[in-house]
Amino acid sequence: MWSFARKILMHDKVKFAVAAAGVSMSVMLVLVQIGLYLGFMENASNLIDHSTADVWVTGEGNENFDFAAPMDERVYYRIASTPGVDRAERVVLAFGQFRLASGGNQGVEVVGLERDAELLSPWNVVGGDVRRIHEVDGIAVDRSELPKLGLDGADGGASPGLGARNEITGFRSRIVAMTSGIRSFTTSPFVFTNLETARAYTRTRDDRITYVLVRRAPGTSVDALVARLDRIPGVEAHARPSFSTRTRDYWSSRTGVGTGFFMTAVMGVIVGLVVVGQILYSGTLEHLKEYGTLKAMGAKAGAIVRVILYQALISALVGYVIGGGLSFLVREGVRAAALNVVLSPNLLASTAVLTAVMCSAAAILSIVKVLRLDPASVFKG
Amino acid sequence: MQPIVRLSGIGKTYGAGETAVSALVDAELDVFPGEVLLIEGPSGSGKTTLLSILGLLLRPSAGTMSVHGRDVGKMRESELAAIRASVFGFVFQGFNLFPALTALENVSYPMRLKGTSVKSPEAEARRLLELVGLGERMKHLPADLSGGQKQRVAIARALGGDPPVILGDEPTAALDSKTALAVMELLGSLAKQHGRAVVVVTHDPRLERYADRVVRVEDGRVLAPERPSQRTSLAGHERHAA
Ligand SMILES: Nc1ncnc2c1ncn2[C@@H]1O[C@H](COP(=O)(O)OP(=O)(O)OP(=O)(O)O)[C@@H](O)[C@H]1O
Ligand SMILES: [Mg+2]
Repeated sequence: MWSFARKILMHDKVKFAVAAAGVSMSVMLVLVQIGLYLGFMENASNLIDHSTADVWVTGEGNENFDFAAPMDERVYYRIASTPGVDRAERVVLAFGQFRLASGGNQGVEVVGLERDAELLSPWNVVGGDVRRIHEVDGIAVDRSELPKLGLDGADGGASPGLGARNEITGFRSRIVAMTSGIRSFTTSPFVFTNLETARAYTRTRDDRITYVLVRRAPGTSVDALVARLDRIPGVEAHARPSFSTRTRDYWSSRTGVGTGFFMTAVMGVIVGLVVVGQILYSGTLEHLKEYGTLKAMGAKAGAIVRVILYQALISALVGYVIGGGLSFLVREGVRAAALNVVLSPNLLASTAVLTAVMCSAAAILSIVKVLRLDPASVFKG
Repeated sequence: MQPIVRLSGIGKTYGAGETAVSALVDAELDVFPGEVLLIEGPSGSGKTTLLSILGLLLRPSAGTMSVHGRDVGKMRESELAAIRASVFGFVFQGFNLFPALTALENVSYPMRLKGTSVKSPEAEARRLLELVGLGERMKHLPADLSGGQKQRVAIARALGGDPPVILGDEPTAALDSKTALAVMELLGSLAKQHGRAVVVVTHDPRLERYADRVVRVEDGRVLAPERPSQRTSLAGHERHAA
């Protein structure tokens, strides 16, 4: 019956094209909008997700990853000497002002790392030498943030911006390494440097740190370690995965960033629903006489419903393939604008299901129409 | 001989109260295997209503009706549909073919939807199209066929699943007179060769020569046969056979 449905559906090429375009549009809106949202969420927790720490320790009451209040460095020594801790590293995370050549300032999110850091360091390094961030003014920034820093094409070479000298909050900086795709949720560019320089850039006192990253000793469970570290006064300890989720949830719920994307995605679904529903319905009306004939001939109601449902599912399939393809093109296209569209297998699979459900729902009106059709109507006019 | 379909005391009233229309009153009609039965009568007399009840498309308001001796009065719609699928083939004035489907598909797909026991609906559809003289037109869309050819496709479709009764409501009305006679002749030969009953509603008295029995409907009443059966037309069938 698939071929029967396909032939009826595709007989009117223009109508079919409109239906396919409607579904494609809808699929693309859903994929791109939710993909963008997932991209933002990925950014929100990227430092955590790319660390190899088992546990993140922060000052008590810090809800916001990017704006966490600093804590006393003595905590670090207590953590390092806690049983079950194999390695502990300090991290300074705070905001500084990057002085632009044009005279203005750009807020940057400074990440200060220990020399020989093992639990967190810039990834996706595409230029320079990331070890040189431990030189007194050495910083690593992301290639995609150069325009914001007023540095795009600064030296015109293969790695524009590399070697650029600037000032952050009154202290000298020199770009010694370049990464690709490390972006913050706050939209302030990340600046990776060493602990001391980070404190200078962010006016953080010398005895203050923001995070302690912990690797557990062999034989210690993460949960046990989290519980033990949590008992240290003034701090909170979180296992890496739950800290990541917490950070995403915070940004997602506090900024309402999800709502906008979901609204657009929902609009996309409604547009698809209306277009496909309309096309299927007008096709059904056009073939009412023939469907009535099938009913008169004694075709089972279920069989006729299938013929219509299959038309909906064929529209869904064609629209999904086109819309999905377009979404991948959009993803490549907006990459230049430093936007991250995450088309995860999960998203692709759930959108496929959503598309099938949407098109089936769009067929309901047609199905009701045919089921209500009086077989005796075939002999009328 | 046992009739395939038996109507007795059948009445049909459309609507209720002031606007009620009594379309059929106390109708008696038997349909026998192998006969060509013509139903004639003025416009609005109740012919289509009679044919619809005969084909289990419409429930009568009064009377009893049996198919192959089984009372169908209290059957559910799904049971009626199952009987329609196995007992009746339908032919329409407007052909009612799917414009998107070839002649072959217009015959084979409905056979599948009906759920007939035919093993290969496609092979059966080919055979039926050969039978109605359209062996050369199987891959054509309805738009590329003449009216007579379209009606032949519809007749082949009606024959799918080998039903013992073919019902047609003015199947020749949309055709020119020569084609109309040829189509009627085809229907007649199907009755003669396969012991099928063919019941045709028509306004065209020239079709009478292919009929074994003519029934008149006037003002909702089925009148007794006007003429005895016209066996003499059999020779004519052979002469016109395609
Ligand atoms: N669905 C309906 N509702 C109300 N009245 C109807 C309905 N169908 C038919 N009628 C009426 O019943 C009567 C018989 O109609 P029917 O269609 O059976 O006539 P007919 O003999 O087939 O006419 P024609 O030769 O014009 O096709 C007519 O008066 C018609 O108006
Ligand atoms: Mg009529």
